[in-house]
Amino acid sequence: MTQPAEQHGSMTLSEGKQTPGGEREFMLDVRTSDLEVNMGPQHPATHGVMRVLIRCDGELVTGAQPHLGYLHRCAEKIGENVEWLQYLPYTDRYDYLAAMNNNLGYSMAVEKLMECEIPRRAELIRMICAELNRIGSHLIAFGTYGIDLGAFTPFLYMFREREWMMALFEKICGARLTYSYIRIGGVFNDAPPGWFSEVERFCDVFDKAWQEYYDLLAVNQIFVKRTADVGVISPEMAFDFGATGPMLRGSGIDFDLRRDMPYSLYGEAYAAGAFQVPIGKGEMGTLGDCWDRVWVRAVEMAESVKIVRWCLDQVEPGPVIADIPKTLRIPPGEAYVGIENPRGELGHYVVSDGGKIAVRCRVRGPSFVNLAVLEELLPGTFLADAVAIIGSTDIVVGETDR
Amino acid sequence: MDFHAIHDHLKAVGAPGLEGADEPRPEDKKAKDKGRFGDPFLIVDPQQLRQFLHVCRDDPKLKFEIAADLTATDPAKDDENLWINVQLLSVTHRHRLAIKCLLPKSAPSLPTTVPVYRTCQWHEREAAEMYGITFVGHPDPRNILLPDDWVGHPLRKDYEFPEEYHGISCK
Amino acid sequence: MGLLEKQFEENVLTTKVDWLLNWCRLSSVWPMTFGLACCAIEMMAVGCAHHDIDRFGAGAFRATPRQADLMIVAGTVNFKMASRIKRLYDQMPNPKYVMAMGACATGGGPYYKFGYTVVKGVDRVVPVDVYIAGCPPRPEALLEGLMKLQEKIQGSSVIRRPKRTA
Repeated sequence: MTQPAEQHGSMTLSEGKQTPGGEREFMLDVRTSDLEVNMGPQHPATHGVMRVLIRCDGELVTGAQPHLGYLHRCAEKIGENVEWLQYLPYTDRYDYLAAMNNNLGYSMAVEKLMECEIPRRAELIRMICAELNRIGSHLIAFGTYGIDLGAFTPFLYMFREREWMMALFEKICGARLTYSYIRIGGVFNDAPPGWFSEVERFCDVFDKAWQEYYDLLAVNQIFVKRTADVGVISPEMAFDFGATGPMLRGSGIDFDLRRDMPYSLYGEAYAAGAFQVPIGKGEMGTLGDCWDRVWVRAVEMAESVKIVRWCLDQVEPGPVIADIPKTLRIPPGEAYVGIENPRGELGHYVVSDGGKIAVRCRVRGPSFVNLAVLEELLPGTFLADAVAIIGSTDIVVGETDR
Repeated sequence: MDFHAIHDHLKAVGAPGLEGADEPRPEDKKAKDKGRFGDPFLIVDPQQLRQFLHVCRDDPKLKFEIAADLTATDPAKDDENLWINVQLLSVTHRHRLAIKCLLPKSAPSLPTTVPVYRTCQWHEREAAEMYGITFVGHPDPRNILLPDDWVGHPLRKDYEFPEEYHGISCK
Repeated sequence: MGLLEKQFEENVLTTKVDWLLNWCRLSSVWPMTFGLACCAIEMMAVGCAHHDIDRFGAGAFRATPRQADLMIVAGTVNFKMASRIKRLYDQMPNPKYVMAMGACATGGGPYYKFGYTVVKGVDRVVPVDVYIAGCPPRPEALLEGLMKLQEKIQGSSVIRRPKRTA
């Protein structure tokens, strides 16, 4: 926003022409200039403390600039000052809606350096937790998107299932939101008796509930009208901006890290036909619009249930954590592991010099990367559509700022 | 393609700036507390990084459409170099590549990679404010995560934590 | 209350009036949507049907500080955000209350030691009435904090002159 605000036209006084109703219409000398509207950092629709400086000509947005850093919590500096296992609670807190996935990404990066074998039961429990968390995260993404657009009720309904999911996690690890459950070498402790059958009951109920949310919100006429043909991201733009996850799949690119560069047991699950990857098709409007991205997230919830069911079938008794020493000294080297977070590729780059503390613990947050696309997408849209577009990027500010 | 194939192909097409590769060999992994584990990476001259990334992105056999990450590392207080780490991802061929550039701490500046991958714009802003690296030709070199008047480069190993900021104590 | 505030001496009538005024205030404490980080998700959970905050009268979350009574600082405060928090606090009309929700708002939380941009507690920026511990605190903890705030409001004197201790 370094250029001065633009001035638009100036209409001069004219004689006044006769309208069909018999009145005279006068044109006055009007000079307008662009208005800079500050959206955030405290704003009901920015999904956290993010500021978007919007320059608009009436209702038309002519420029947009996201400003970050309002939740910068120095996660990377902390990673260089605390021990390997002590860093795990900090990983929960960047994408706090999908904390299990963050734990998983960090643990996998460290395990890549350690080259340790994870027991099968631990891998299955990890996958169940990661997929249940994906469901929870998409429920909030979907629900808060509805709130942004004015639909307050679906959010309350979605929180029904989310409370159940949080109760399940509370049974297995004691925490509702920031778990620190998936640890280096496996998981922290075994599931209590009866947990797996309760997860299965959750899956049965969620299949019906998912259909209810889809019919209530996703194919709702008003929702479709507000999100179709809005915020179209072309495949080239998606690649250029490094977008991954539903941002990429909504534009028709068939790429999912769980299937194409599999980690944990996702390769085995896909080979057994456990899940499919939804790709945006441009059903309600242009390919790559907001509706496509929301649709990808909604269908991913149903696919996650299938993955959980496959894991439940495979679970057998066994150890849940590898035999690793209490004080971890990770062998020297560096490793990068990217996993499929609900928002995109969550990458952890860890560098070790053989000691107890990391040399570098870099977090590649998908929300940080996906947010950059706003500078390109918002100009040319209306202000109301700007809210729809920001919501469809599904950002979590803990991850943009780390 | 695996790492060796990518490295050989880059050598064959004469990618500018390619200086070498570093990968863990089996004898490096004999002892768990010594040696070298983890990922292989290519070493590239930082002043030619932009042209190198052009080749990576446009070559049909490599086709790295997405730059997953561009960051920097300060390996140690007494080390004279900073590292620039780039992670590339190919959606078409489903492979990854890790690139490292060594940048002297006395003159940490290199040409920007924004013309190749637009996503690097924000990554470079972050690396610049955290490490004090200058990306020559960057369209918007402002602080992104830190306040505009922040003093110092936090992720450097010799960073001193501030005492107070605008009247609020940091202790 | 303007001209009537703290003007009358304590007697049976003013005590009853004060009780009524305090009861009105504590039964409809309207929070401002000020979720910063992970605690905001638990605040959203409190607003939903399972742990209903509306039964305390506090369910009307206002987006603008001008219509809010309570600012629940839910999440980590950092230096960039601190000036905005002060500005929002100044925009709230009296009587206003601040609740520091979570470990980060109370005292810096897990980012206390190495967080160079983290303010070690929001009480370095605005005066806080109630602190809620937890990372993130359970929704029930937030509701208990709200009840403690209601007790505090119940004990405040609106039209009564506060007793002099000396």
